[in-house]
Amino acid sequence: MHLQNLKTPPYRSSYAVAVKSHNPSPIFRRPSLLINTFLYESKSKNNRVKSKNKMKFQIEDVTVYFPYDHIYPEQYSYMIELKRSLDAKGHCLLEMPTGTGKTIALLSLITSYTLSKPSNPVKLLYCTRTVHEMEKTLAELKLLHKYQLDNIGPAARMLALGLSSRKNLCVNPDVVSAENRDSVDAGCRKLTASWVRAVAIENPNVPTCSFFERYEKAGGDAVLPPGVYTLQDLRVFGKEKGWCPYFLARHMVQFANVVVYSYQYLLDPKVAGIISKEMQRESVVVFDEAHNIDNVCIEALSVSVRRQTLEGASRNLNKMSQEIDRFKATDAGRLRAEYNRLVEGLAQRGNLPLGDTWLANPALPDDILKEAVPGNIRRAEHFLSVLRRLVQYLKGRLETENVEKEGPVTFVNSVNSHVGIDQKMLKFCYDRLHSLMLTLEITDTDEFLHIQTICDFATLVGTYTRGFSIIIEPYDERMPHIPDPVLQLSCHDASLAIKPVFDRFQSVVITSGTLSPIDLYPRLLNFNPVVSRSFTMSLTRDCICPMVLSRGSDQLPVSTKFDLRSDPGVERNYGRLLLEMVSVVPDGIVCFFVSYSYMDAIVNSWNETGILKEIMQRKLVFIETQDVVETTLALDNYRKACDCGRGAVFFSVARGKVAEGIDFDRHYGRLVIMFGVPFQYTLSRILLARLEYLRETFQIKEGDFLTFDALRQAAQCVGRVIRSKADYGMMIFADKRYTRHDKRSKLPGWILSHLRDAHLNLSTDMAVHIAREFLRKMAQPYDKTGGGGKKTLLSQEDLEKMNGIEGMMF
Amino acid sequence: MTDAQVVKRAKYKSSVKDPGVRGILKMTRERFVFMPNDPSLPIRLNVEFRLIKGHKSSKEGSNRPALLNLTQDQGNYIFEFENFSDRELCRDFVAKAITSSGEVGGPTSEKAVPLKDEQLSSAEMERRIKLLQEDSELQKLHKQFVIGGVLSETEFWATRKKLLDVNASRKAKQRVGLKSDMIFNVKPSSDGQSNRVTFNLTPEMIHQIFAEKPAVRQAYLNFVPTKMTEKDFWTKYWRAQYLHSTKNIVAAAAEAAEDEELAVFLKQDAILASETRQKIRKVDPTLDMEADEGDDYTHIPGHGLATESSKDEMEAQYEPYRRSFLQDINRHAAVVLEGRTVDVETGDTRTVAEALASSKRIELAKEASDNYVHQERLDRITRMAEIEDLQAPRDPPVAPLCIKDPRDYFDSQQVQLGGTRQVKSRLSTSEAYGSLRVFISEIRNIGLSDPIVKPEVALKVFNVLTQNISSSKYQLGKNPHESILDTLPSVTKEELLLHWTSIQELLKHFWSSYPITTSYLYAKVSRLKDAMSQIYPKLQEIKESVQSDSRHQVSLLVQPMLQALDAAFAHYDLDQQKRSAKSGEKPNGYA
Repeated sequence: MHLQNLKTPPYRSSYAVAVKSHNPSPIFRRPSLLINTFLYESKSKNNRVKSKNKMKFQIEDVTVYFPYDHIYPEQYSYMIELKRSLDAKGHCLLEMPTGTGKTIALLSLITSYTLSKPSNPVKLLYCTRTVHEMEKTLAELKLLHKYQLDNIGPAARMLALGLSSRKNLCVNPDVVSAENRDSVDAGCRKLTASWVRAVAIENPNVPTCSFFERYEKAGGDAVLPPGVYTLQDLRVFGKEKGWCPYFLARHMVQFANVVVYSYQYLLDPKVAGIISKEMQRESVVVFDEAHNIDNVCIEALSVSVRRQTLEGASRNLNKMSQEIDRFKATDAGRLRAEYNRLVEGLAQRGNLPLGDTWLANPALPDDILKEAVPGNIRRAEHFLSVLRRLVQYLKGRLETENVEKEGPVTFVNSVNSHVGIDQKMLKFCYDRLHSLMLTLEITDTDEFLHIQTICDFATLVGTYTRGFSIIIEPYDERMPHIPDPVLQLSCHDASLAIKPVFDRFQSVVITSGTLSPIDLYPRLLNFNPVVSRSFTMSLTRDCICPMVLSRGSDQLPVSTKFDLRSDPGVERNYGRLLLEMVSVVPDGIVCFFVSYSYMDAIVNSWNETGILKEIMQRKLVFIETQDVVETTLALDNYRKACDCGRGAVFFSVARGKVAEGIDFDRHYGRLVIMFGVPFQYTLSRILLARLEYLRETFQIKEGDFLTFDALRQAAQCVGRVIRSKADYGMMIFADKRYTRHDKRSKLPGWILSHLRDAHLNLSTDMAVHIAREFLRKMAQPYDKTGGGGKKTLLSQEDLEKMNGIEGMMF
Repeated sequence: MTDAQVVKRAKYKSSVKDPGVRGILKMTRERFVFMPNDPSLPIRLNVEFRLIKGHKSSKEGSNRPALLNLTQDQGNYIFEFENFSDRELCRDFVAKAITSSGEVGGPTSEKAVPLKDEQLSSAEMERRIKLLQEDSELQKLHKQFVIGGVLSETEFWATRKKLLDVNASRKAKQRVGLKSDMIFNVKPSSDGQSNRVTFNLTPEMIHQIFAEKPAVRQAYLNFVPTKMTEKDFWTKYWRAQYLHSTKNIVAAAAEAAEDEELAVFLKQDAILASETRQKIRKVDPTLDMEADEGDDYTHIPGHGLATESSKDEMEAQYEPYRRSFLQDINRHAAVVLEGRTVDVETGDTRTVAEALASSKRIELAKEASDNYVHQERLDRITRMAEIEDLQAPRDPPVAPLCIKDPRDYFDSQQVQLGGTRQVKSRLSTSEAYGSLRVFISEIRNIGLSDPIVKPEVALKVFNVLTQNISSSKYQLGKNPHESILDTLPSVTKEELLLHWTSIQELLKHFWSSYPITTSYLYAKVSRLKDAMSQIYPKLQEIKESVQSDSRHQVSLLVQPMLQALDAAFAHYDLDQQKRSAKSGEKPNGYA
């Protein structure tokens, strides 16, 4: 068992060589030869196995290299569809169930496509939602790349790398030890800003970053050799060479064949403006796990302002005015030079030294006008007074006692009439602030986030006239006694943020395990896909077992509906369900709750009634908290507990970070329980405003959208249990509302097709019985290829045969 | 010899039902004497242990008589003792006495007793009895040889010391893990009249508290007993727990401001926080959600939509006092998963605290210097990235080990080895030594960072070494579920197996007796030889009794046994010759 799992470390072969070369006397030859024979044999065996079995097949004119011995039929048809949309140079929308190897199918087809058409290489921009998914994708790409190299040789060489912020790439121990991203960014700037380095040349006591200096010195020689680099690999490489991995990666992104980075590097104009500006049109953009892409888009263009923000902004303004006074006394020429530059227009980003860049304008690139900054904010002190007035105005607006909602146009008019700041001035706020901070040589940018937020807000509100609304709430609806005023600029139109991506790149692929109903996404994102398909899963055996549990063991209905939510009977029934399951299901169980507050309440109630104690006697309990560090460690421990056989339960929250991107495949998750329907908080003003916008603009009914949104989250949660067809898992939807057809039918097809009629309305005892049966059945050995009837694993011969019969599809 | 004799009050009974005669039982090494209290009674016993063949005793129980039955060739002696402890003592004595007298009563009636006197405690005795009860085969052997007089009790067990020891040590060494239950919410017991509540703390709970809350541990080491008493310390601790359970952060902060010792319990655990920071750097990158924050530009303060998480922003001064129940659960589970890191049996709280603190330091230091873990983690990611059912299992293909029938395993290994030639290497010792030296120096330089031997290499070596086993297994029966033994009639099969085990046992004793240095060994060897020569014809008998079709197979099975016996006999004869030659020279030597 263990023998096969131990992977040989890379330096092992060199070790054997070392043994050989260190043998000076012939006496030693024999033993080393013996070892070498072993090595040689095992190596040649490996090679033989690889070249014999791994797949290489044709899809029309493209030779696809697939690093496995077999392929699932749906992966094959996925590749065909993908290839068609690449050929058509259009966008596509592909839904394929989790656990069918989407990622490798995507990577394998797109890299093979490039290899087949060397004259017209396409660049792949692969967007993941999280850094850990980035690492997983790059690990798969490594596997694929190795196979391609073995097969084609040096021609298959490519450069693929992951890109992240300084916090994840920095190797300077003094900088990276800072607490959060902004402090790391600021720490880096303090060492690498152009003016700091200029001072350091004269005064050796001023600290600089040795990694950055060496990278700068290497100049054009600082390149990454071809290969696949995870963030970890980049850090190791940077340390080895003494070059800054962050700036190296930023530089190499332009030349890389594959770039894996976060969604926001393309969707959030603040980041995309600096990172993704120079990507060529002949790129394929992939958004993986894109079921939430509309939310990412609207969040990228939303800003919220609280009292603390305004107070912080005032402090920032005071600090800046002190700085201005200081400069006036010592270096008045600097301020004048800035003024002149502003007269000529803002074109500052192109020639900025590398270390000076920071977040770009929050508005989309096409919306920023290339013109001179308005005269009345060109002088630094004038600009500051404009900002002061704006902050003062916002403070006044926050004093309101009623909820207010208005559009950007009304808001801008009101700003103009009250404090005399017009739309154009608002629009230029962000760039003007940026310019000023550079002039004032401010390096501790993390201290100035508040004023930055205000300027973001001003620029957005000054730029857009539709698709946004400004909502001012004096207190949280759920806690009316605590005054907590907030002013939110909320974007309702997801298509705004993604529009430049669709326009700029020839192919955009949006894919996920849950994109149902698939016709809704083109409307939400406002694009025309050339291919839009949903694939089902061909299963060798019924390895997923979804159930709807509507009643507890006492036959009373269970639900997280508002009126039932805090009913002790429901809490008890949920507890008994979990308790029964922990004694039946081996290894890992994952539970999803509808919100943090609900989870907190129910865990406390289980603790008081002793249910938690009983659960703990069976399995260890780990919980997702709002602290990511703690959650990460809890997950790590959860996996350890599953690995060592102790078994564990993980409590998590739908829409939470864990539900977004952590897999609970294999023994890490044999059962998922979704407690309740994860509806959004429907009384939220922002949601109401968005629903209204959707109804007016796209004719999407509120109820439909809410159900769609809740069920895609639920499907996403439960879909994390399956990783391959050899895997198996159960899914329990524990809420009576799932029995209703209008709710249930919004689940993706691959879940619905396994949801048997008999499993639609279960009580706890019946569910336990089904679980027992299912687990017993799954524990039996089975034929992986699917046996007689329909094949669920295709070998190379199968594919060749199929290609003979043209047009055969699944 | 500490107690050369035992004197106990006992009743002598002619049978179990007999009411018995009260008297004094006196045991010495050679004999036991029973004197009735009433001297007028005719019953007076004076028996040599030499004549006693064995002993039985009644089961221990509250209302049962404590009986000891000494068996003789004809008839037996039953004694009832006043209590079980007396009985135990006598029984042990008897067991020992019988053994030694049995040895003494051997063919050479010399006085020298070669084996040291084995004083058995009742616990040891019980363990032996238990072993015999558990293992019927062992019991059979015991019956055959010990009761049959071929081997003495001591000799029989001497070769099984391991069995006795291992069992004992394993039982003692198994460590109990931590309980899954959490003790944080121990309900205080209240007397119902006053406002006082009482907490009961056990050493187990203290251990758990210290393991889960390093700050409390540290505080204990700092405060107790210099600053406050242990009782005060725990009172303060529970007070803090109570404040937490009320979830009133403001009140907690206020109390903490007044009492700096209490504040230690209320504040967040700094030691824990630093541990967390260390651990997060080593976490599996495919799980690392903290890294995501580095790429999250929409949720910088003020950006994105206000979500639930930003709702409960708390004023900064109360921040250190926030601690949630959920965090406690996570911490608890993590500690349980780590397992018991220290083995302190004592109830001394300070020792526990110190042991925990030092074990933690060692662990952290070890982790910091460990780069092997990192390599392993990378390998894990690669493995996790693969889709398992799309490819053949990773080579080398290894048959899953099936405990049900070892033949499955050997057969599959055989199939694999079918084509490969045997790796032959003839190395002189100097070559081997030289190669070993090279390896050692390599290891010195590189360190043992990885599996020392490549798994593939290890498998190969293993295959070569087990080839003989696997091939014989392979040749014996193609069908794993049907061996030659199974084809034989069950009587023959059992007989064969019985003979096989008894030959094993006898040979073991036989060979371990050489070289013969004492006359005791000499006697033992001749006893063994006699026993073996009794088995020999029986084997021949079996061979001839079976039907002709399976005779060949049976002879295949019997042959090695006969050969082993022949070898033993040959050795015995040779030794005998030498001995007689020697004895001619030394007429006053051993008999």
